[in-house]
Amino acid sequence: MHQFQGRHIIDTADLTTEEVMFLIETADRIEAMGPAARDLCKGKILATLFWEPSTRTRLSFEAAMYRLGGNVIGFSEAMSSSVSKGETLADTIQTVALYSDIIAMRHPGEGSALAASMSSRVPIINGGDGAHLHPTQTLGDCYTLIMEKGRLKGLKVGFLGDLLFGRTVHTLVRLLARFGVELHFFAPEGLNIPDYVRDSLVKAGATFTEQTELDARLPELDVLYVTRIQKERFFSEEEYLRKKNSYSITRETLEKAKDDILILHPLPRNEEIAMEVDPTPNAGYFRQAEYGLKMRMALISLCLGVLS
Amino acid sequence: MRIERIHNGIVLDHIKAGVGIKILGLFPTDMLKSKIDYASYIESPRLGMKDIIKIENLDVDPKTLTKLALISPSITISIIRNGQVKEKIKPELPPVVEGVITCNNPKCITLKEKYLTSKFKVWLEDSKVRQQCLYCEHIAKSS
Ligand SMILES: [Zn+2]
Repeated sequence: MHQFQGRHIIDTADLTTEEVMFLIETADRIEAMGPAARDLCKGKILATLFWEPSTRTRLSFEAAMYRLGGNVIGFSEAMSSSVSKGETLADTIQTVALYSDIIAMRHPGEGSALAASMSSRVPIINGGDGAHLHPTQTLGDCYTLIMEKGRLKGLKVGFLGDLLFGRTVHTLVRLLARFGVELHFFAPEGLNIPDYVRDSLVKAGATFTEQTELDARLPELDVLYVTRIQKERFFSEEEYLRKKNSYSITRETLEKAKDDILILHPLPRNEEIAMEVDPTPNAGYFRQAEYGLKMRMALISLCLGVLS
Repeated sequence: MRIERIHNGIVLDHIKAGVGIKILGLFPTDMLKSKIDYASYIESPRLGMKDIIKIENLDVDPKTLTKLALISPSITISIIRNGQVKEKIKPELPPVVEGVITCNNPKCITLKEKYLTSKFKVWLEDSKVRQQCLYCEHIAKSS
């Protein structure tokens, strides 16, 4: 038995691999329930507290709760709430915990979700704490891989783009390493994975490679996870324009890859994936957003104890 | 430099060479209206080079002991009373340090929400102190 009722979801490192698999099974179970799932959270309230804007993540949490038949309260701009009047995080959380049954939050302070959980009598789900963790994205991505590829062990997953600042990648690769996924990193000079991520992969005995060019290894990859490249990370406009193209995916890229390569992206995208890729069966990024929603439904149901 | 014997006070010995100045910074200035001897880079059979500090008429509290161990894990503290060594302390690095260190990650929640007590996991790696904030997981290396 896995105990999720009343539990906070702060970091995927707190979950065993069995618990991650159980979350994935639960997401599937909810899917199989069909319309019956719409009553699971009847009478329950989710509070979405977003101290920094992230429309996509907030909408995903809110849609998840509405699809489970629950209700949603919350704020999405700290400026308009009492937070801007200098209220402490502890006070905000204690008050909102009186109005709601579960809280999903995003806050720019790193470690904020953990801090909030210390003041909360209801479960806290971390929807992103600064550049630190984003566990619901990670779990949704993990679910996507299982659903699309049927397995994790031995899967060859490439990560392309800015891997230094992309927190999605940092949490995801550490979780995937625990499942025996082979990791291949493709990043421009100076934007490769940070040392602490590399250290933890080495310690975990993970199989991984690092390079700047995608071409040589592209034909082996089962999955390619693309991330945004931001202009401000480069020294000059010219350098950015030059690099941008070698880190973007077009139909031409797909021709050099396995027929069934799966392209993922945490969204929103800029120009890293050409729109011409969207109609191909390889384009998994919109399905990925859907799996993310299902995973949030599973987390809400389990933490509220309406499923076990 | 000659280090004189003291009658009452503390002797901080086996300090990692060069960090003695950082240790002096730990003691609030009002406590330092006493005679201080500070020698840097003197030869030590155990450490190669070390710093040594003697401060007259001063005591150390447990919190300061932890701070001393964080700055220089090799430090020893002798409490001197009436010219005699009353006690010799080799402070241990506790596995978790609460409320002593400030996180050096500017985005850490503990800097913004002042009511939070900082918490760090502390360990030695290659005889250097490593400390990891238990909130943001930022790892800082000191001497
Ligand atoms: Zn911190």
